[in-house]
Amino acid sequence: MNRKVKNVITAVLIAAVAVAAVILLFGRRTLTRSASSGAEEGANACTIAITCGTILDNMDILDKEKHELIPEDGVILPETVVSFEDGDSAFDVLEKVCRSQRIHLEFEESPMYGSIYIEGIGNIYEFDCGSLSGWMYSVNDEFPMFGSSEYVLKDGDRIVFAYTCDMGTDVGNASVGADGYE
Amino acid sequence: MNNGRGQADAFAGLHPAVNLTFFILAVGITMFVINPVFQIISAVSAVIYYHLIRRESAGKFSLICILPLSVLTAVLNPLFSHEGATILTYLPGGNPVTLESLIYGIGAGLMMAAVVSWFACLTAVFTSDKFVYLFGRLIPGLSLILSMALRFIPLFIKRLRDIGEAQKCIRGDSESDLWDRIKNGVKLLSALISWSLENAIDTADSMNSRGYGLKGRTAFSIYHFDTRDSVMLIWILFAAAMTVAGVYRGAAYWRYYPTVKGAVQDTGAIVTELLFLVLCMTPVMIDLYEDRRIRAMLKRNITE
Repeated sequence: MNRKVKNVITAVLIAAVAVAAVILLFGRRTLTRSASSGAEEGANACTIAITCGTILDNMDILDKEKHELIPEDGVILPETVVSFEDGDSAFDVLEKVCRSQRIHLEFEESPMYGSIYIEGIGNIYEFDCGSLSGWMYSVNDEFPMFGSSEYVLKDGDRIVFAYTCDMGTDVGNASVGADGYE
Repeated sequence: MNNGRGQADAFAGLHPAVNLTFFILAVGITMFVINPVFQIISAVSAVIYYHLIRRESAGKFSLICILPLSVLTAVLNPLFSHEGATILTYLPGGNPVTLESLIYGIGAGLMMAAVVSWFACLTAVFTSDKFVYLFGRLIPGLSLILSMALRFIPLFIKRLRDIGEAQKCIRGDSESDLWDRIKNGVKLLSALISWSLENAIDTADSMNSRGYGLKGRTAFSIYHFDTRDSVMLIWILFAAAMTVAGVYRGAAYWRYYPTVKGAVQDTGAIVTELLFLVLCMTPVMIDLYEDRRIRAMLKRNITE
């Protein structure tokens, strides 16, 4: 191989590594986005609410620095009507409403399940209220056993993101057994 | 001012135990107290001291090594940590960039700057003969390994230069493209590593045959623990203990998330901060005091 070819190969390799790094850092959810991109502008509507009422019963084990974040009635976002496009997921609606209401939201893509994991809403994070605490979601009072980014919404769906202090039993998730999982 | 022991500053002329105690306490408090005020105090003191003992090369070190490190930490933290109540903007990935995580990054950067500067001072002050003097009899094997390992980086650099020059003599200076340079670099590293490893075995054998670690063997440098050393040691321990007591009472309370909040700056907090400042500035003050005294002495000699 002559020098020019070698130099080009080296440059391409470096560029590939850089691109991979950028994708790992910023890329996400190509699946759901591509599903909704071709859809027509629909008049679909759903409702979404965000609650952390279970913390009110467990204030003693809540992280001390987070006490001021808990609303008195435990409602971070009261039931709100949101319109969505065909193919949008429950997570898309959550993200949209959090942005428009200036509610903090941190999530993470878990490649193992190919879906989004919600770490914290309104600066209330998983494990802030005991080792069994975290965010769960239900649609029409049912708790799907997969990530919210995989739940494709239907017109009239009622989404609730609820903070649990006990692996879901205290928010009404019947599929969770007494020992913590199914 | 040279004090006859090869060091250019008075703090380094103190007993090695005093030097080590100071560095352990200064670095320890810097690392375990999460409060930007303490980190600024520590970082500024360390940088000033480093500039005192390494006059000409210090600026380069601060600018090339410490400043980019702190800035990088401050910039990178908001990209990975998204906690915090004040949302500035959103990343392309969808997670928020918060003011709190930026401030946390600045605090972490300050802490890194402080600790790296303290360790740079430590390598200049706490030389390997001091290390062997302190620990040679207590843990002979480990202290030899450590003193050799600490010497490795400067030694590597020197040997790398030697090998590079020898290679240039053999091949001529014709490394124009990247590929050739990488290939030569690998050759250079291979030579460097085999040379260094063999040399390390030689050193160990040599120390062994000289009776290193045996009973009754003395160290290369002998230090006497005199009154000045005990006064300094008591002062350092006192200042550190008072700082830790103040921190324990909550004088250094600080939280970054969900909103930035710090301890009320009452008398207790300010006294704790001042104590920590004086503790961190101890080497600088000793150096400046000694410097002035020697200058005054020289002046007197000239006028007499």
